[in-house]
Amino acid sequence: MAAKKLRRAQLSQEMCERLSRYQITTCQDFLCLSLLELMKVTGQSYYEVQKLLCKVSRACAPKMQTAYEMKLRKSVNPSSAFLTTTLHSLDRVLHGGVPCGSLTEITSPPGCGKTQFCIMLSVLATLPVSIGGLDGAVIYIDTESAFSAERLIEIAANRFPAYFDSDEKLLCMTRSIHLYRELTCCSVLKRIMSLEEEVISKKVKLIVIDSVASVVRKEFDTKLQGNLAERSNFLTRGASVLKYLAEEFSIPVILTNQITTSLSSGPGIRADLVSPADDLSLSEGSSVSGKRDSGCVTAALGNTWSHSVNTRLILQYHDLPTRQLLVAKSPVAPFSTFFYTIEKSGLVLQGKTRALVGLPFQLVF
Amino acid sequence: LSRCRCIPAMQRELGTLPLAPALRARLAAAGFQTAQELLDTGPCGLSKEIGISREEALEALQVVRQECDGNAARPAGGPGATRKFTALELLEEEQTQGFIITFCSALDNILGGGVQLTKITEICGAPGVGKTQLCMQLAVDVQIPECFGGVAGEAVFIDTEGSFMVDRVVDIAAACVQHCHLIAEAQQEEDHQKALETFSLENILSHIYYFRCRDYTELLAQVYLLPEFLAEHSKVRLVVIDGIAFPFRHDFEDLSLRTRLLNGLAQQLIIIANDHKAAVVLTNQMTTRIGQSQSTLVPALGESWGHAATVRLILHWDNRLEPSKNCEILFVAMRSSLFPGSFLPSLYHKVISLSCSVKCVLYIMSPCSTLRLKSHAVIP
Repeated sequence: MAAKKLRRAQLSQEMCERLSRYQITTCQDFLCLSLLELMKVTGQSYYEVQKLLCKVSRACAPKMQTAYEMKLRKSVNPSSAFLTTTLHSLDRVLHGGVPCGSLTEITSPPGCGKTQFCIMLSVLATLPVSIGGLDGAVIYIDTESAFSAERLIEIAANRFPAYFDSDEKLLCMTRSIHLYRELTCCSVLKRIMSLEEEVISKKVKLIVIDSVASVVRKEFDTKLQGNLAERSNFLTRGASVLKYLAEEFSIPVILTNQITTSLSSGPGIRADLVSPADDLSLSEGSSVSGKRDSGCVTAALGNTWSHSVNTRLILQYHDLPTRQLLVAKSPVAPFSTFFYTIEKSGLVLQGKTRALVGLPFQLVF
Repeated sequence: LSRCRCIPAMQRELGTLPLAPALRARLAAAGFQTAQELLDTGPCGLSKEIGISREEALEALQVVRQECDGNAARPAGGPGATRKFTALELLEEEQTQGFIITFCSALDNILGGGVQLTKITEICGAPGVGKTQLCMQLAVDVQIPECFGGVAGEAVFIDTEGSFMVDRVVDIAAACVQHCHLIAEAQQEEDHQKALETFSLENILSHIYYFRCRDYTELLAQVYLLPEFLAEHSKVRLVVIDGIAFPFRHDFEDLSLRTRLLNGLAQQLIIIANDHKAAVVLTNQMTTRIGQSQSTLVPALGESWGHAATVRLILHWDNRLEPSKNCEILFVAMRSSLFPGSFLPSLYHKVISLSCSVKCVLYIMSPCSTLRLKSHAVIP
């Protein structure tokens, strides 16, 4: 929308020519100028310039919809609003599953099961709608070379034995998962930019990027000056393209991130914090609760990234082999924890689930 | 013929009139100085003297006349006129001013009654703390009928981050309607019942006007078009821009351009808030500022942006990842009006601790400082 050329904004031909002499060709250039500059450049009076501004604005402003229309549209097509994870308690808390049209992040320390979760969700996306899938292809961007096709088949065969009863079905499923190995930030960004056409041509219903953190942390050392800003720049650019894809095609986008545990005492894991005081309360908490062994977790990639994702699921170690899944950020779900183990069929929820605030938010009177 | 009575407007210099620059240059070259001279010459004479067509001359004269006449005869208080009030009139206006109540009494108390109309309120906070939730709640609360204490208005929601969830708004709206029903049952009054007939889920949702802006160009365009939209929908009393920071935080090599655009936006929003008696609510992100020894979390978009808002709320996690404890809320309030570059001495501190579904710590402070309260007591 920003790059829309002015001649498509219904400005007269001569006005467009005149503006192009000042290198103003797109709506973005036009709207970035102040009123005085516009008067100088167009040679028009104040009132005329206001009218021109309205014209150009109308060409790039978004369309209005009321919340009611949005609700109606959603209720017409309820099943396509979520990708069920088949972890029933989690689905219930998330009001259906991983939401379509927004970014979901899975964060965890190494080895907790991010990639397993991603592989499991990839299988689910290829299933037909009748069993809860999205009946589409999957684009899997792998930066750590952690994807294993054998594990994919193992999960599929063990989780849905009734559906994947023949080898042919398994092969068909693997054919619809498109794997891209990207090893640098630049190539990841380029790949993300090129995804729009792929999504249309291959009828993609799920995009997975595993993992964003590894490639970013390799290249950006935030202790060096200027790197923090550059990293934020890269991340927000990526995030806005992914958001556009998610919303335009109404598909879920799953990203994985790394988590670092900052232990307040004891040797333990090296505190590999990317942004030392990402969350003020966390740094306070660690100084107050000095003696505790279990430290507080900080997601990598900083604050800007945390703002960009809409849903955040945190996986953590508990008493092995049980692990813990936290719904840390979600527009529809309260804080909840679940316990799970990783088995042949992927992630399996264990008995005790705890939703912290019980039901969805209510007003207090 | 000269007029008997000298109207000062007619002596206005040409440089102050909103004419096209090329035209103004020609007039100056021909020796014209005041508006009176132009009007005396007439369109034909003007066209011959400076070499423009008669139609252009007529247009210019009409612009000049409109400016001069308009200044003399414009009614006080009309849009665009210089606003003159006595402080008493302002006081009366402020006291009868509506607030957007949130039905969360602690929050309303701190804000002095609720979210104030004609002012800009900024909500900052860490990711996931509830900024969008609060905005969605306000979009519902602005529609509360007057007999229940609301302003019975409509809401414009401009979304730049894509975090608006219709299902959540449905939940909030249903709870709000239910709450009003409870009030109506408790105090059996006629107008309550009548108001409840129109205060339904469908009506609430239909009066939230949603715009999804993907980048800052769309945001700028939408804000330019907003006065027109508000003129058509005169019942709008709330404009929410969820995520003013997001579109401005990437792809901006030229920081001075960003500052200029943001200031322009702030100016336009202030005008919109005043002209249409609407509350403007913006949400901002937090960013890490690397200091010498440590990093702190500050609202994004820089120091100069801090002056845009009258009231700034900072939402803050408390005991965040302790799943076993209930999140507690500390309300710490320090309220002052906007006086750029200074800190009003008349602050009051109120510290309340209670559990509420909002789950946040509120710091309301003067936007020109990023001080945090060093110590605060908790009243259990």
